Amino acid sequence: MSPVIHFDQFGVSAEAIRAVLTAALGRGADDADLYFEHAESTSVALSDGKVNRASTHVDLGAGVRVVVGDQVGYAYTEDLSRDAMVQAARLAAEIAAGTGSRQPVAATPAKYADRYPVALPWEEVALEKRVAMVRDWEKRVFAKDARIKKVEVSLADSFRHVLVVRPDGRMVYDYQPMTRAFISTTAQDDAGRRETASSNLAQRMGLEFYSDERVERLIQKAVNDTVVLFEATKAPAGEMTVVLGAGSSGILLHEAIGHGLEADFNRKGVSIYADRLNTAIAPKGVTIVDDGTLPWARGTINVDDEGNAAEKTVLIEDGVLRSYLHDEISARHYGVSPTGSGRRESFRHPVLPRMRATYMEAGGYAPEEIIASVQNGIYCSSFSNGQVQIGAGDFAFYVRHGYLIENGKLTRPIKDVNLVGNGPKVLETIEMVGNDLVIDEGGWTCGKDGQSVPVSQGMPTVKVSRLSVGGAN
Amino acid sequence: MEPLELGRDILARARALGAEEATVVVSRGTEVSLTRRAGKLEQATQASSLSASLSLLVDERYSSHSTSDLRPAALDAFLARAVAATRVLEPEAERRQPPAELCGRFTPESVLDRFDPSWETLTAEARRDHAERLEAAVDALPDRGRILSATVYLGDSIGESARVMSNGFEGLGRGTGYGHGVEMTLSDTDGRRPEGFSYFSAAHLSDLPSVESTVAEGWKRAEQRLGSGPAPSGRYPMLLQNHAVGRILGVLGGPLSGSELHQGRSFLAGKLGTRIASPKLSIFDDPTIPRGLGSRGWDGDGLYAKPFPVLRDGVLETYYINVYYGRKLGMAPTTGGRSNWVVPAGTRSVDAITRDLDRCIVVTGFLGGNSNGLTGDFSFGVQGLLLERGEVVGHLSEMNVSGNIGDVLGQFTEAADDTWAWSSLRSPSLLFDGVQFSGT
Repeated sequence: MSPVIHFDQFGVSAEAIRAVLTAALGRGADDADLYFEHAESTSVALSDGKVNRASTHVDLGAGVRVVVGDQVGYAYTEDLSRDAMVQAARLAAEIAAGTGSRQPVAATPAKYADRYPVALPWEEVALEKRVAMVRDWEKRVFAKDARIKKVEVSLADSFRHVLVVRPDGRMVYDYQPMTRAFISTTAQDDAGRRETASSNLAQRMGLEFYSDERVERLIQKAVNDTVVLFEATKAPAGEMTVVLGAGSSGILLHEAIGHGLEADFNRKGVSIYADRLNTAIAPKGVTIVDDGTLPWARGTINVDDEGNAAEKTVLIEDGVLRSYLHDEISARHYGVSPTGSGRRESFRHPVLPRMRATYMEAGGYAPEEIIASVQNGIYCSSFSNGQVQIGAGDFAFYVRHGYLIENGKLTRPIKDVNLVGNGPKVLETIEMVGNDLVIDEGGWTCGKDGQSVPVSQGMPTVKVSRLSVGGAN
Repeated sequence: MEPLELGRDILARARALGAEEATVVVSRGTEVSLTRRAGKLEQATQASSLSASLSLLVDERYSSHSTSDLRPAALDAFLARAVAATRVLEPEAERRQPPAELCGRFTPESVLDRFDPSWETLTAEARRDHAERLEAAVDALPDRGRILSATVYLGDSIGESARVMSNGFEGLGRGTGYGHGVEMTLSDTDGRRPEGFSYFSAAHLSDLPSVESTVAEGWKRAEQRLGSGPAPSGRYPMLLQNHAVGRILGVLGGPLSGSELHQGRSFLAGKLGTRIASPKLSIFDDPTIPRGLGSRGWDGDGLYAKPFPVLRDGVLETYYINVYYGRKLGMAPTTGGRSNWVVPAGTRSVDAITRDLDRCIVVTGFLGGNSNGLTGDFSFGVQGLLLERGEVVGHLSEMNVSGNIGDVLGQFTEAADDTWAWSSLRSPSLLFDGVQFSGT
C-alpha cells in the first residue's frame, strides 16, 4: 500500500482510507471522494502603538462526498479515527438508495506543477520576527503624513495541507500557503475632520513576499487612500460613463460575469448566461479568463479540491462565450473536461464550481487615452465589495474612492459610492480596453452558498459607457 | 468528554502552562441540511462537530486561539505554542477578565426556551418528507409553468456551548435551530431570469411558517422582479420591508461599537444622550426573548445579558462596550455585541400606510453596497417596487439608495404593524421620508 502523505502523522492509514471509500460506495454510488485537511494560521496585530494581540488556529478533519448522478451526499468529521471516518462515509452514502460492492483502487500519489513554492516558510519564522515587522510598518505609516493619528496593523499567515483520495486510485496532495498584511489608518486634518481607510495585500508566499518595495507600496497606499478622502466629495447620482482603473476593478468581472459562468448555475438553468455558449456576449477585443495558474496569486490552486489540475480557462474569447467554470458534476453534464474549478472552503463543505483569478486580457489603448475620451463620468480606483444576482444578471460593487472625469481629465476625488449594472448589458457597453493589465494583490475573498474561498482579480483600464452610480445630485 | 468537562480540562492545562487567566469555549453541534430540485434530492449533508476556542492572558499579554484537533497530546502541544506565542507580545492590563460578580446567567435557559426537544426524535424520513412537501407546494403554485428552476432548502441543527473562565464563571447553553425556504428562478420576456428567495429560521420547528406560505413568499419575491428596471433618480418616501430592515439599521452596528469609538472611526462618538434619529424611532436590545434567535444567557465576556434601550424616542442611550474597550474608553461595559434588536411596531398595515402616499419606493431587498462608519454615509443597490397610492406601478432594479444614516433616521415617520419574527432583528416595515434614490 502507498503511504498517506502528511496525514499519516494523524494516524490515517491506507487501510482506513480504503475502508472509508468502500463505505462511501456501499450503497451503489457513481463516485466518491475523501478530502483531508490540516490547516494552521497565525496572526499578530498592532493597535494603540502596541503589538497586543496574537492568534493561532488549527483545523483538522476529513469530508466524505458521495455522488449519484448530480446528487451529492456529504458528511465530515474532525476525528480522523477509522471508525469516525467510516461513520461519516455511511452518512454521506445515504444519498444512494441501492447496494454496491465496488472496491476502491489502491491510491497512488499524482504529480503536478507547484505554482507557489515557498522560499521562507512561515512555519520557520519566529513570532518575534512577525512582531518586529508589524512594529516597523506602523512607524513607517506615521512617518508618511503628520495627519495620520491612528494606525492598526495585522500580519496573518496560514498553510493548508490537503489530500484528495478517489476510488479510481488518484491521490492528490497539495500544500497551500497564504499570507496577508492589513493596515488601517485614521487621519485628522487641521480643521478636525477625520477620514479612515485600509489597505491590504495577500499572496501564496512565505516571508519573502514582504520585499521592501512591496511593503513600501502597501504603506503608501494605506496613507494615500486615507488622506485623499479629505478632498473627496460625494459622487453624482444616475447613469454615466465609468472608467475602471487597472487592477482591483476586476471586481466588475467577478460579479458581472464570473459568478454567472459558474457551471452549476448554468446546468440548473438559473444563470442569465445559460444557453449562451458560443454566442457573442461582449464586443470583439474583449477576452476574459479565469486562471488558476498565476504564480503565487491568492486565487491560484495547483489542484482543485476534487483533485483535478488547475488551468487557465478562457471564458470569453474575443467577445464570444467559450466556457463555463466546471467541477466534475457540471463537466459530466456538459460532456466536457473539468476546468479545475471545484473548490471548497474546508473539509466541512462540499465542492462547488468557483473562480480562481479572474481578469480581462489587455487591449490596445493607453490608459490616458481612455480617460481623455470621457467628457463627463467617473473613474474608480479603490473597491471594497460586490454582489450579483445570477439569474437577473444585476450586480453591484462598492467604490471606496475614485475621481470625477470632466472634459477628459481626472478632477475632484469622490468617495463611498455603490455602482449597479446588469452583467450582459454592461459587457455590451465595454468601449475601450487598456494596455495596462494589472493582477491585483489584494486579499479578496469570494462567498457562495456560505463558503468563502480566496480569489484574485485583475483588469486593464476599461471604459464602460453606462453604469448606475449611487451618489447624490 | 462532555463540553463542560473538556472546557475545564483545557483551562487547567492552560493554567498549568503559565496562563494567569484563560477563557475556554467548547462548542459541540450536529447539523443536517437537505436540498431538493427537479423532483429529487440534490444534496444531503450531515455532520457532528466539536471544537474549542480559548483566550489567554500570560504575563498580562493577550492572545486567542482555536482548534478542532482535540487529541490530548495535540492539545498539549497546541496550548504550549499558544502560551509561548503570547509571551512575545506587549502587555495590556485592559485585557483582564471582568470580575466574577459581573458574570453569569441573567435569564434561565427554561425562559430562553432555545431548545426544541422534538429535535431528538426527528428522523431522516421526517426530514425527507418535509423537503418533499416544500417541493410539492412549489408544484402546486398556479403559475408553476413560469418557473425555470426551484430549489427547496431544509436545515436543522443542535448546538451546545460550554464556557469556562478562570474567574470562576462556568456556563452551558444549548439550542436548536430550524430553517426552510425556497429559491425560484422565473423566465422574463427579455431573457433575464430573475430569482426570488425566501428563507425562514426559528429555534423551534413548530415556529416555522407553513410550507405553503414559505413558498408563496418566495413566489411573490420572484414575481415582483419580472420586467424590472430603474426609476428616475430623485427623492422618494422609502418603505423598507420588514425582512430587509437590517441593511439600513446595520449601518449603526460599527459606529455603536467600542472598538470603532476607541479608534476614532465612529460618527456616533460624543452622541450618547443626544437625539440621533426621529423621536418616533426606538431600538431595544433584548437578549431575553423566549425562542429569540439572538437570545442568550451571557455575552462574549461572560457578562449577564440584560435588555437595554439602544435608541429611545430617537435618543442614543447605549453604546456596545465590551470589557476591554470599556477600560480603554473609561466607560462601564454594556455588552460587546448585539443580541436581538426590537423595533416597536406601529398600528397601521403597510397597505394603509402606502395608500396615503402619492408615490413611494418599497425596498424589498438590497444588492451590494456599503457604508462609512466615520461619516455615516451609505450607498446600497436596491430592488423594489414603485407604488402610487398603494398600487404597484413598477418593478425596480438597477437602482441605488444613498444618504447619511443620521439624516435618514431623522426622516423616519412610521412603523407598520408587521413585525418580522424570523430574525434576531425583529422589526416591522419602516417608512422614511425623502430618501435619495438613483436610477436613470
